[in-house]
Amino acid sequence: MMEHVAHGLMILGGFFAFSGSLGILRMPDFYSRLHPAGTADTLGQMLVFAGLALKVITVSLAEEAPVDGLSIGKLIAISLLLFVTTPASTHAIARAAQLGGLKPWTGEKEREDTDE
Amino acid sequence: MSDPVLLINVILLMIAVGAAIAAMWTRDLLGAVMLMGIYSLLLAVEWANLFAMDVSYTEAAVGAGAATILLLTALTRTGTREKAGPNFHPTALLTVIVTGAMLIYGTADMPRFGDPQAPATVNVAPEYIAQNVGKVDAGEDGPENDFGDHVPNAVTAVLASYRGYDTMFETAVIFTAGVCVILILRPLSPSARRETAQSQEGA
Amino acid sequence: MTSTDVSFELITALLILGGAVLALIRAVKGPTTYDRVLAVNVFGTKTVIILALLGYIGNRSGFLDIAVLYALVNFLGTVALLRFVESRRFFQ
Repeated sequence: MMEHVAHGLMILGGFFAFSGSLGILRMPDFYSRLHPAGTADTLGQMLVFAGLALKVITVSLAEEAPVDGLSIGKLIAISLLLFVTTPASTHAIARAAQLGGLKPWTGEKEREDTDE
Repeated sequence: MSDPVLLINVILLMIAVGAAIAAMWTRDLLGAVMLMGIYSLLLAVEWANLFAMDVSYTEAAVGAGAATILLLTALTRTGTREKAGPNFHPTALLTVIVTGAMLIYGTADMPRFGDPQAPATVNVAPEYIAQNVGKVDAGEDGPENDFGDHVPNAVTAVLASYRGYDTMFETAVIFTAGVCVILILRPLSPSARRETAQSQEGA
Repeated sequence: MTSTDVSFELITALLILGGAVLALIRAVKGPTTYDRVLAVNVFGTKTVIILALLGYIGNRSGFLDIAVLYALVNFLGTVALLRFVESRRFFQ
């Protein structure tokens, strides 16, 4: 049962990570691209790491081996680290763009490839 | 594919080749620097996969971190656009092909991967292994015959015990190189910065 | 470990690799520098997840240490990049 939950969490996390990247590719403008990068990615990595930690616990329980607490601690540490740093770096990029004078897209013509 | 690790590795290497080609192809130098950062990150994963953990750490810290910053600092002294020119350089291609062919020709003399009869494994390596590995629990025979509580990893033991001086002077060389780079790339004084900006506008 | 057991991690890893390819395309396309920084940052996050998954699939716990390092390097790299972008305007 717990194994299925772990698999579900992992697949869901992979889906969120993929859709976040798809959003980064498909969104029309820089400021809208921040949205999938900041939110979907954070949720995706949390789900994947939660699934992995659960999987490690289930596998060791099934084999009646002692649970590898260090690995689970590392997984939680990475997840927490990314949970703090991903939104922080997204915020920093947005702030730099605003200070650099990048104007948000307001709905007129496509402004893709203005720089290239 | 039967081996999932192999499958993931093949895809990672393909992405790395794509990033490298894109970094060469783009005319925007800032973009090229960032693509090189991605390329370094992917290579670091590959190093980890080959059990070269120290190389992997270095590649991640230097390739993706320090080299990106150095190249960006260099870009502040130049422009961010590559100057327009021919995409195809016959001399460069010839040089690369000749060098690559020579390197591949040289691999013919190398021993097979993991060959127990290779020169590197029959000469000094057994000595090092006999002295280092297994000494972790050698508390009985006194401190003079024993290297202290060494790590069980032979590579780390050799690096720390036998290549200490090597590493120390390597550090000195790298420190000197770092000082030189800082001297070259140090921030300009405001007047010099204005002059550089004017000369760039004039060019 | 049976082959069906591994396949879920493999599917997740493939999904995340697909996401990494999409982020790479955004990093190539640009158009502004900020887009590229964002794409590189996202790519770094994907690499961390891939490393953890690879460590689980290949049964190597040492990969998790490298994943911690990458998460740190990725954040520091992004912040350092942005400090350059903010302080010396070397792009249009």
